[in-house]
Amino acid sequence: MSALLKPFKSDQPIPKSFVPLLAFTLLAIGLAIYRLYAGLGATTNMSDHYPWGIWITVDLFLIPVAGAAFTISLISYYFGRERYHTIIRPAVLAGFLGYGVVGVLLFLDIGRWPQFYNILVPPLNVHSFLEEISICVTLYTIILVIEIAPVFLEKWGIQAKWIDRWILWIAGAGIVLSTLHQSSLGSLFLLLRYKLHPLWWTPALPVLFFLQALYTGLGMTAIATNIVWKMLNIPRDKELYRRLGQVMSLVLSLYFAVKVGDWMGSGEFATLMHPDPYVIIALLEVFLGVIVPLVILFSRLSSHSAGPFWAGVFALMGTFINRLVITWIGVAEPSPIPYMPSWIEIFITVGLLAGAFLVYGVVVRYFKLFPDPGEGHSH
Amino acid sequence: MSLSRRDFLKVVGATAGTALVAAQPVLAAPGTTDPNEYVGMLYDATKCVGCNACTNACRQWNKTTPEIVEGLYDAPQQLSADTWTLIQLYQDGEASSFVKRQCMHCVDPACVSGCPVEALKKSAAGPVTYDPNRCIGCRYCMYTCPFHVPRFEWKEVIPEITKCTLCADRIAEGNGPACAERCPTGALIWGKRGELIADGESRLAAEPTRYINKIYGKEDVGGTGVMYLSAVAFEHLGLPKVDNTPVPEISEAIGNLFLPGIIVGGPLVLAALHSIAKRGGLDEEA
Repeated sequence: MSALLKPFKSDQPIPKSFVPLLAFTLLAIGLAIYRLYAGLGATTNMSDHYPWGIWITVDLFLIPVAGAAFTISLISYYFGRERYHTIIRPAVLAGFLGYGVVGVLLFLDIGRWPQFYNILVPPLNVHSFLEEISICVTLYTIILVIEIAPVFLEKWGIQAKWIDRWILWIAGAGIVLSTLHQSSLGSLFLLLRYKLHPLWWTPALPVLFFLQALYTGLGMTAIATNIVWKMLNIPRDKELYRRLGQVMSLVLSLYFAVKVGDWMGSGEFATLMHPDPYVIIALLEVFLGVIVPLVILFSRLSSHSAGPFWAGVFALMGTFINRLVITWIGVAEPSPIPYMPSWIEIFITVGLLAGAFLVYGVVVRYFKLFPDPGEGHSH
Repeated sequence: MSLSRRDFLKVVGATAGTALVAAQPVLAAPGTTDPNEYVGMLYDATKCVGCNACTNACRQWNKTTPEIVEGLYDAPQQLSADTWTLIQLYQDGEASSFVKRQCMHCVDPACVSGCPVEALKKSAAGPVTYDPNRCIGCRYCMYTCPFHVPRFEWKEVIPEITKCTLCADRIAEGNGPACAERCPTGALIWGKRGELIADGESRLAAEPTRYINKIYGKEDVGGTGVMYLSAVAFEHLGLPKVDNTPVPEISEAIGNLFLPGIIVGGPLVLAALHSIAKRGGLDEEA
């Protein structure tokens, strides 16, 4: 893996670690073409009773994870935390690749893909959160392309000063678009009032999803920077890490308050006293994803780089459980046949993620994604 | 589905009712959004004999393919891409009841509220209609329907969503849904929703011991186009306990609040943050 992330050695041959990633990516491309050619029924295990499968679950998890780009932009550009600038580029690239995987999965998921463009062609339904998410994600992906463009443009000697000049506006638009679609992702499930388990269905879904996107994005940033700094032997910015942990603990606390407050307000708190599998999952989700990260961040570990890293790992676990329940196991379907993804669904998912890692590795290696050692510490 | 003697007597009784039903009111002025003016159907489970005339009428009119299940001709167990309506039987000891399934044609449908591309629409005459030329196949309608109705042509390469159309094409010509026009016992009748409710209420008043005292769909999820009368609890018939709020109400209210709120408030908050940060207000280092 470490070879994957070695920068600025464009004269060297492709490292061996690229090979399996490339193999998985090519397999996914092949399977994706087969899926478009053969149809959803022939390639997936989705059915009339489980109309949404693993691809949607993965999308709903990847969007808050890729939200790292949005959280870092918010802190860096609008909270005046200059020191975060060193991790903007890697976060934006990761965000762009995350949204790229989401986009490809969605395209494969829609049954009538030859007319996918209808999603952006009027008449559009203004009441549909799915429509609003589609518009926001499309626009946000364009923002991410603009934000990441200088990495490539400078390599090829093209100046795009207008991006620098307008960056506050560009990043600001990205932040507003992210706030919209990250919260609307939760609103998507408001229509499942009689189908989604009451421990998860609440009018507060958009608020919970937004806060979750914030801390998941921060957690992902902590994880990614920790790995990358280690591999590239860049000295860790401990102060940046401490601050990251502080913001994360603030958002986690807020999420915890809304979650518990909602359970109490809706009377679902009583449900928690009668353990069944759903209660256990709900408690596990909050314990792993919220309480454990908070304990880590409030403990002495938080001043150490391992603190935000592990808090991030647990927060991501909690978010994954949350999205798994809301898209899949918490949704009541009368069918006795449970859904399990087909091998094609799994390998397309794995292969696309491998492709994202591969592109990331190539960009880290051949383009200037991180500042030179020391550069980020000048102030 | 063998007929017992009691059922046979019911058929005789119900046939008398059919004569009345034959003289139905003709249609609703198109263009109305008054729920009582929508065309709907009333299904009286106590009058249904399970003869499947309705499901055959549906096949004939909509040209759907009969399903062969384990060597039995046309024996679907559930709604499917090819089966837009079917008769199921509930049995529990002595108690039993037929129940007809199809799209409920909600007054304020979750599927229509969620459909991003307006492929699903609540038409002015009452049916919830589907346009495959708009549909992208996202299946959000299947996911949101509280009655588990919309189906997908999984076997097709480019599938369509399928469900009962309330025979919108027949309604446009002044006819009723094929199933309701074929019903020999009067268990299934069609007409303006308001008149069906009045009919149902007079039946409840006339024979209070025959029925559970409720028209399912009169107010449930804000009202449905297809309504039910039954002698057994509606949950046993697969009609879920729901309250009278339309499913889209909370979703649309939150949308109306949050979306403009974020679009207007978001930039203002960012501007405020920026000006504070510029003065070093929030930054401990400043």
